[in-house]
Amino acid sequence: MILAGGRVDELGVLTHYRPKSAVPFGGFARVIDFPLSNLLHSSIERIAILSQYRSYSLINHIGTGAAWDMIGRNRGISILPPFKDYENPHWYRGSADAVYQNIDYIQYYGASVILILSGDHIYQMDYRKMIRYHNEHDADLTAAFIEVPLESASRFGVAEIADDSDDGGRMLSYEEKPAAPKGCWASLTVFCFRPSVLFEVLRKNQEGDSYEFGRDIIPMMMRERYKVHGYKFRGYWGYTRTIDEYWQTSMDLLGPEPKIDLEAWGIRTNLAHRNIADRQPVKIGTHGSLDNSMAYNGCVIEGTVRNSILFPGVHVKAGAEVNDSIIFFDNTVHQGVRLNRVVSDVNTVFNRDVRVGAPVCEKPSRVSVIGWNNTVPEGLHIGCGCRVAPRIAPEKWPKNKLEDGEELK
Amino acid sequence: MRESGDALVLLLAGGIGSRLNLLVGHRAKPAVPFGGIYRIIDFSLSNVMNSGLTRVGVLTQYKPLSLMSHIGDGAAWDFTGRTRGIKILPPRTGEKDSDWYKGTADAIRQNIDFILANPSEQVVILSGDHIYHMDFDAMLSYHQHKRADVTIGMMVVPKRDIHQFGAGIIDNENRIVDWEEKPKVPRTNLASMGIYVFDTQYLLRTLARDRKEADFGMDIIPRAINEDRVYAYPFYGYWRDVGTIQSYWETNMEIIRENSGISPEEWEIRPNPEYSGRPMDRAPARFQAGSKVASSMVSSGSVIEGTVINSVLSPGVRVKKGAVVTNSVIFDDVVIGENAVVDLAILDKGVQVGAGAVVGQGDNLTLANKQFPKHLYTGISLVGKAARIPSGAQIGRNCIVNFGYNEDSFNEDNTLADGASA
Repeated sequence: MILAGGRVDELGVLTHYRPKSAVPFGGFARVIDFPLSNLLHSSIERIAILSQYRSYSLINHIGTGAAWDMIGRNRGISILPPFKDYENPHWYRGSADAVYQNIDYIQYYGASVILILSGDHIYQMDYRKMIRYHNEHDADLTAAFIEVPLESASRFGVAEIADDSDDGGRMLSYEEKPAAPKGCWASLTVFCFRPSVLFEVLRKNQEGDSYEFGRDIIPMMMRERYKVHGYKFRGYWGYTRTIDEYWQTSMDLLGPEPKIDLEAWGIRTNLAHRNIADRQPVKIGTHGSLDNSMAYNGCVIEGTVRNSILFPGVHVKAGAEVNDSIIFFDNTVHQGVRLNRVVSDVNTVFNRDVRVGAPVCEKPSRVSVIGWNNTVPEGLHIGCGCRVAPRIAPEKWPKNKLEDGEELK
Repeated sequence: MRESGDALVLLLAGGIGSRLNLLVGHRAKPAVPFGGIYRIIDFSLSNVMNSGLTRVGVLTQYKPLSLMSHIGDGAAWDFTGRTRGIKILPPRTGEKDSDWYKGTADAIRQNIDFILANPSEQVVILSGDHIYHMDFDAMLSYHQHKRADVTIGMMVVPKRDIHQFGAGIIDNENRIVDWEEKPKVPRTNLASMGIYVFDTQYLLRTLARDRKEADFGMDIIPRAINEDRVYAYPFYGYWRDVGTIQSYWETNMEIIRENSGISPEEWEIRPNPEYSGRPMDRAPARFQAGSKVASSMVSSGSVIEGTVINSVLSPGVRVKKGAVVTNSVIFDDVVIGENAVVDLAILDKGVQVGAGAVVGQGDNLTLANKQFPKHLYTGISLVGKAARIPSGAQIGRNCIVNFGYNEDSFNEDNTLADGASA
């Protein structure tokens, strides 16, 4: 069960029209391609995606599921939207409620283990190892954790885990986003449940008024002395919760030995989505240059690109400069434009001599983000850490400058 | 939306294309990679799809395996569905015949059952050998408008090239009144592109008439001109025969030149990237710090640390530090080692060029290959599939390094003189 419903406010303009799991990542893929590819390579082939926020982009991306070989009599991806019936008039009221509302789906397949994942993270994981651990320890719940510095632990669900083995141990304590974390194992929102226990705790949880796995289910299971284990994951884990995190995680794709190695991780995406399969190879013009960058088919590079990630169909015209930026599908960057630390959503046009960001900037958040389907007027200067909403009407643009940290809606 | 009714397409994909030398050592000519991510046949298949035609038979004969896996179920070109489909039609043993296809007409004749099983008003017959952009729907409408029995796609070529083609002489209504197959002395500059529209009933009748008529250009068309309504459909767009190493290389180079008229993406040519059966997708191409790329096409999955100029790279190519690739066409998953130099060469899939090796050494571009002087004579060197060029080796101009060749097969000083083959 993939929890893909959420829109995370910090990602703002990138999630105005799509759930976070459908946000483009890695120069050609979407965030959800990471868990889906992990599932494919873990031979887990019956998948449900729980989605309620602006699902169309996600539904379109998943298609038939064939991109991940999830098509066949015993294989498939089902998208489970919220629904109404005689008893239940609600939207999904939280991650646990979303799963609860689809208990009949889970029961229909009668699996021996239920894996619950978030669709929001960048990582490579063989779930079979975790399931093996879960089965060997006959746990009711095994949750995956990663070691983080103590000072940053308070943003996560934090556990103390017994040192039973290298792979994990009994969970000794668990707190959701504690002010003073006791441990440094942060939850990855990867849960492996014994089905009968899952059904039981979800039913109990319905009696309360909060329906989250991290905030409610795990603490309840700790209180009621279920057999809960922590599985220690030691690979790379990338967050994309804020624009700055998204930018930072994206930069891990670059360099001679990138932390995120898409092919080594076996990442697959839906090549039919936005027709990326049909884009011609990257065309580099006489004076085009790319330095420490990645670009997918369909890009045309006549200007200068440094430390950047270009999705299919980005045109960087002669005399334009793109630095430290992530440019989504089908942007056009015209002559004289300078982009520094920009995340630009799909179909945006930067007209001549536009400046966004600066090579040096004192703002705590230096990344500027431009929403989709924008035409940035000629000569406009946009500062660092700015947020520009999608589809700004021509008359709404400021005359010549958007100051550092400003928002344009 | 198609205006012209539901024609059946028969695509002749059996040609050996032997002038492409090593490139067709493992695959039929239509399956030869082109333009980085495409195969030659993608142009015909995509033109068919974009013309709104939905039923296709592909006649194979020579080394069909690569072609068959490339076509797969045809989903890459939307040929899947209850009334849509693409079928591979290999030669087979009949009650009397046990022969291979003896010619284009014979190949169609041996598949009359396929034509009968897919009722149609017209049959479009194409070859899978060319790089072009054409709307068959417009050609079908023209055919219907002319009430023709046969319509032949024809284009103007330089008179000196007409000896390679079927040549047609037309009246002022575009009706073909005379025909010469590969004439030594040109009387016209109108050349057949090997693209035919037949009225289905007419095709069945004419094929039944004389089983010894094996070829459209040689037998069927010359006779039809005397007896039936045969029209030329004039074509003015981009069309290239990539049947020689020289034209294959030139046409690849045209893709990277501005305004050369070829634009696969605008033409909506679809490749089939899933064909390779890789468990993962190709990632975006990576251009490392210190790399330099200019006037080139680089496909996904490639990692560039060195220099690439004026070249076309297929997916998964690695150009290591200090390596320099110029004026070349590089197929999938080639590795060009550190400080190696590749100039004016075509490297087939999986070739490995050792560190410091040179492919395309020296300035003597005109000494033709001794074994195949008609294939390699302009300086282009050819390295076959999965060959390994040892570190420090020196390969000259117009050379051929056979597929699977490796370190052990080379001579002691690791050199290959201009025009030599290994």
